Amino acid sequence: MAALQAILNGLLVGGIYALIAMGMALVFGVMRLVNFAHGAFLMVGMYLAYFGYTLFKLNPYWGFGLVGAALFLLGMGVYWLLVRRVMGQSDFLQILLTEGIALCLIGGAQLLFTGDYRSISLPLADKTANLGPLNFNVAYVVSFVIALLAVTSMYLFMKYTEMGRAIRGVAQNRLVAPLMGIRVQWISGVSFAFGVACAGAAGALLLPIFYVNPTIGGPYNLKSFVIVVLGGMGSVEGAALGGLILGVTEGLTAYYWSDSYTQVVDFVLFLAVLLLRPQGLLGKKAP
Amino acid sequence: MLTRMLAVACLIIGPPALAQSYTPKVGVVSSFTGSEQAFGTQHERGYTLALEEINAAGGVLGKPLEIIKYDDQSKADVAVQGVSKLVDQDKVPVVIGAYASQSTLALVPAVIKRQVPLLIPTATADNVLASKSPWVFRVCAGADDIAHATAEFLKTTGLPKSIAIVYENTNFGQANGGSMRTWARTYGIPVVADEAYNAGSPSYTAMLQKVKEKAPEAIYFASYLLDAVQLMKQTRQVNLNARVYTSAGTGFALPSFLTGAGKDAEYTISGQQWMRESKWPGSEKFAATVKARWGEYPSYHAVQAYVSLKIIADAVKRAGKWEPVAIRDAIAKTEMQTIFGPIKFVNQQNQHPVLITQVQQGAFQVVGPADQATAQVILPTPNWSTRP
Repeated sequence: MAALQAILNGLLVGGIYALIAMGMALVFGVMRLVNFAHGAFLMVGMYLAYFGYTLFKLNPYWGFGLVGAALFLLGMGVYWLLVRRVMGQSDFLQILLTEGIALCLIGGAQLLFTGDYRSISLPLADKTANLGPLNFNVAYVVSFVIALLAVTSMYLFMKYTEMGRAIRGVAQNRLVAPLMGIRVQWISGVSFAFGVACAGAAGALLLPIFYVNPTIGGPYNLKSFVIVVLGGMGSVEGAALGGLILGVTEGLTAYYWSDSYTQVVDFVLFLAVLLLRPQGLLGKKAP
Repeated sequence: MLTRMLAVACLIIGPPALAQSYTPKVGVVSSFTGSEQAFGTQHERGYTLALEEINAAGGVLGKPLEIIKYDDQSKADVAVQGVSKLVDQDKVPVVIGAYASQSTLALVPAVIKRQVPLLIPTATADNVLASKSPWVFRVCAGADDIAHATAEFLKTTGLPKSIAIVYENTNFGQANGGSMRTWARTYGIPVVADEAYNAGSPSYTAMLQKVKEKAPEAIYFASYLLDAVQLMKQTRQVNLNARVYTSAGTGFALPSFLTGAGKDAEYTISGQQWMRESKWPGSEKFAATVKARWGEYPSYHAVQAYVSLKIIADAVKRAGKWEPVAIRDAIAKTEMQTIFGPIKFVNQQNQHPVLITQVQQGAFQVVGPADQATAQVILPTPNWSTRP
């Protein structure tokens, strides 16, 4: 029963991982770009949610959409200003650029908000719900449900809308897509902005159960990367599944072994996937 | 070996010619920003008050005392840079710092290499004194003393049949967790769970679930502030009921812990180094001054910073000059009465007693040792389900 509890706790955290990693997977899938600034955008989302709550009494559970929208615009801006210029360039340039964006965002946050840790305390975060012998923190459950709804709507959007089809088209083949009348530049920009918005919205959902400081995004950057590889590079559904798997793995590791080994297990998993199934769980083998 | 011979040579023939021009200032390293900022703020208040009092009383060697602060951003690598900034550039002959054990440990080789005395106000991990260097002094009691005092206190309330040790995976956490492991063995308390965690995880529920299954009668936490708050909240969430919650002070000993964890902080016991009710003269007045100026009572960290600067001022006066060797020798001979009790260094360590406190009605009360107690300890801790 306790193991079941550990799995459920892992799932609750994993739902948020899924939303974060999905953004990274989308950007990678469409643009073949590993966004090293992903964790930094998550941090920006958390600060927006924090000030939304402290200044305007905006509950992050309502405000996450606004934060997502704000980050979407920010992502658009960053794309047109910077990222657009390294598309099709070497991986090295792309890594330098996104890492540079991350440094600017983190440094900027340190300058504006100092290195202090900030947290909000929602009454919800103190509530515990019981289901038989299992118990849940209500805030985790709400964050999880919203994250899962976001993941699902994202999936449906990709599957059934014209824009989603275009995004998948570009992901499948950047060269053939324009022949089908798809504006690759525009689609890339939208995808990048969507990816950034996912990180921002996840940040808003993470805030009530955690705290924020300028360097909070770093570990999530690495986790997302592990999840994206786990799910299959560029597979959005794979990232969602990978997020849940990583959350559960961490929960079980902390339960059966030690909390201090969760990061070790994360990266052993990462290496194992690269060795044994390089295309990831739901990824397709490279032609 | 060569450096050690050089060091010995320097001691005999005096400091090298290059290092002779020191500024008459004290270098201070602490965590003024970053994850340990709450403690850095306490330090800052202590240093500020000590400085004002020293200068109101005529300063040191005929001049107002000056300190140069360096913010280590709660990071050990930045703390080390602080020593090179303060000693190499600013030429201070003596350093106080840092806050965290991890950062302080990093300072030790840096000051020994530069041959300037380091006074440690707060770091409890006992390895900060492992070098046995004559340049390093510590004001606070160590992890070993705190675990010992906690075990001794538990004995007065009836030894628990089992204990779980939960600590963060850093120098501070490992030192305090390890000390409790040793003392639990000495007192014959079986350690049923021994859990190290990564500070700053979004969820500790899986680890706490595991602890819960071992049904320990007592838990000993070694955590900084943010995790202390998260741990108590999640202990309630997983409905982990221990007879007694103890801790190595630190995160559990701050006023911000009471506000952060709210009613979940109630009944937690912690090893403290100082309380405003302490019988040491001047404690109440110091606490009132801090409260009037900053709106909240100080934690023991503020007092350690305050007393550290007083010790340095006293040592420089007796040394008669701003010169590292003279200051070092003067610190070693310190004998003064302070609000942190009598200060006397034996083998570089100030002999300091540990107080045991319990959170009762949202405030820290001294519950041990008996001669210092301001309230009766409330045990066993009520189960979460029966609390309001």
